[in-house]
Amino acid sequence: MRAILVTGKGGVGKTTVTAAIARAISASGKRVLAGEVAAVGDSVSPLGLALGVSNAGLSPVPVAEGLDMVLLDSASGHRAFLGDVLPLRMLADAAMSSEAIRRFLSTAPAFPEMGTLYRMLELMRLRGKGQAYAYDTLVIDLPATGHALALAQIPGALLEILPGGPIVDAVKEGLVTLHDPEKTGAIVVTLPEALPVSESLELLDGIVKHGIAARGIVLNRVPTNPFTAAELDAVAAHFESAPSLLGSRHTGRIVRANEARARLVGHGAPLLELPELPFDDHDPASHPSLLAPHFSPRSST
Amino acid sequence: MKRPSDFPIPIPTVPTHLARLVRTKKVIVVCGAGGVGKTTTSAAIGMAGALFGRKTLVLTIDPARRLAEAMGIPAVAKAPTVLSPAGLSLPPGGELSAWMLDPAVVFETMIRSLSETPEKANRVLESRLYGHVSKLIAGMQEYTAAEGLYGFASSGHYDLVVLDTPPSRNALEFLEAPRKLSGFLDERVVSLFMPKGGGGLLRAASSLVSKVFTRIFGAGFFDELREFVGAFSGMFGAMREHAVNVRELLTSSDAGFVLVTSPEPSALAETRFFRGRMLELGVPLEGTILNRSYAYTRGLVRPGDPPAGASHDLAAAFRKLGPLADLELHRAERDRRLLADLLREAEGTFAIATPHLGNGLSDVAGLVALSETLVGEP
Repeated sequence: MRAILVTGKGGVGKTTVTAAIARAISASGKRVLAGEVAAVGDSVSPLGLALGVSNAGLSPVPVAEGLDMVLLDSASGHRAFLGDVLPLRMLADAAMSSEAIRRFLSTAPAFPEMGTLYRMLELMRLRGKGQAYAYDTLVIDLPATGHALALAQIPGALLEILPGGPIVDAVKEGLVTLHDPEKTGAIVVTLPEALPVSESLELLDGIVKHGIAARGIVLNRVPTNPFTAAELDAVAAHFESAPSLLGSRHTGRIVRANEARARLVGHGAPLLELPELPFDDHDPASHPSLLAPHFSPRSST
Repeated sequence: MKRPSDFPIPIPTVPTHLARLVRTKKVIVVCGAGGVGKTTTSAAIGMAGALFGRKTLVLTIDPARRLAEAMGIPAVAKAPTVLSPAGLSLPPGGELSAWMLDPAVVFETMIRSLSETPEKANRVLESRLYGHVSKLIAGMQEYTAAEGLYGFASSGHYDLVVLDTPPSRNALEFLEAPRKLSGFLDERVVSLFMPKGGGGLLRAASSLVSKVFTRIFGAGFFDELREFVGAFSGMFGAMREHAVNVRELLTSSDAGFVLVTSPEPSALAETRFFRGRMLELGVPLEGTILNRSYAYTRGLVRPGDPPAGASHDLAAAFRKLGPLADLELHRAERDRRLLADLLREAEGTFAIATPHLGNGLSDVAGLVALSETLVGEP
């Protein structure tokens, strides 16, 4: 797996899951680059916070042995693209130094996403010492649902708009990489409540429709369940007539988590669960050991 | 089926600070990170407006279309729908409408109203590129929200418009949408695509653009783009004027911004980040709603012995409830601390907690109850 795209709606712990997956894969001996799609004007990097990096920038910075992090921005992608397409480096530099062209590329239809995609491909192709890839795997934290699919939709949309030329060639190359299940996979992160699960299933459908392999669903913050199935049934039934006990709200969450789990299995993507730590405000996904078994060298190739 | 989480919702006995907003503002913008219950909160604020006897419209641009589920409105509609669900009685003058902003509809309406002639509007709308551009243009959703909000708020048809924004980072774009879109429509950009550029430097830039774009797109597409931008160009002035008006409206005393957050650390971090940006953008933050909180424990008691005649399983389950009760008390304390922090961090604003509603709202009664927790008893 060369690229793992982590997606899901806002507030589900996507960023901490990205950080945990990146750490888990790098712990297996691979060289990993964790990336975050950076929007213009972002002053904080949530992924940087999750990885404990304060100097995250547009070029990779080291996080730990075998793990780097980078902010993926569209302008770097545009510059790289123009550099590859235009006959003279000078022309590309002149183009990017034109305020009007920069502005056009950062706001015109599909171009920001295309820049991000191109930057991702560039980092995937990056060679280290010798001929080996600088990074075995990129783990990318995509923006929240709605925009997550944008990256996947862009190539197709651009191909419809544009008749041909170098941009189309670059987009086609991007598509080949995105559609190759050996190279690219998506991870959908969700919470054990009804609405988040419905939205994740829609997102999963969308991802598969766009030809990207679904590598897994992460059910995050699953509440502790001390009950056996029979005990849960009994206590849930009791609360229907006597709901005013402390502990009944948590019990309700357990019931809903079970329903969520039942809806998420059988969609062709393995379901991974991360428990909620009861007395701690930290997200459990920051513990990569929980995810490590799913991203061992065997399952990640 | 009644669920263990379906609690009688505690209702404040005095009007809250939010009640003042709902009674007096023309626009309430609801912002916050994704997944914190913004859409439901917006619907409840709208419901409160209608219950106060105001003609209220709730607008959402959430592509997940959750408002429909909570309020029973059609997912696809060309215009706002007046809601008259069974069991809801509104005071005289009170009305609740909702609309899922449809970017295509808003954009087409705007083009028709801003074009100098119907022929010019058709030239844009019938262009091969239009279908793609209106869908894919960066900041389109945000621009649509701003344009839609402005259109409805200035129509005089509604007393109150409640806007549910997209998730946080995009919502920031929404505040900046006018500027961002006018960046694309900036004359300096546009002139590069115009058949006849200005003189000197501009012509040099235009010739560079022409070289670069012909090279990367091929000649045919560049000409097509040029034609399209040309057809659009008559509208730029008016669009920019709208953008300025939207900003004026949103920074005026007619508008109030409300932040919604959950107790999750990531949502709180987004809320703080967002609050800072709102300050920079000069929009009036009125208060924060801590959603899905455990802060209220009124009326809840610790589990004691299992009821008489309890089955073996129920008795066993009761023995395990103690730690879960402790967990809830721990969360309640945490959430009360959070509320105090939210108040301290933003002086002069309010902070309200709403309870965790389990699987969310499924009916109008629930929405009315939630609106009452937000504004207090009438």
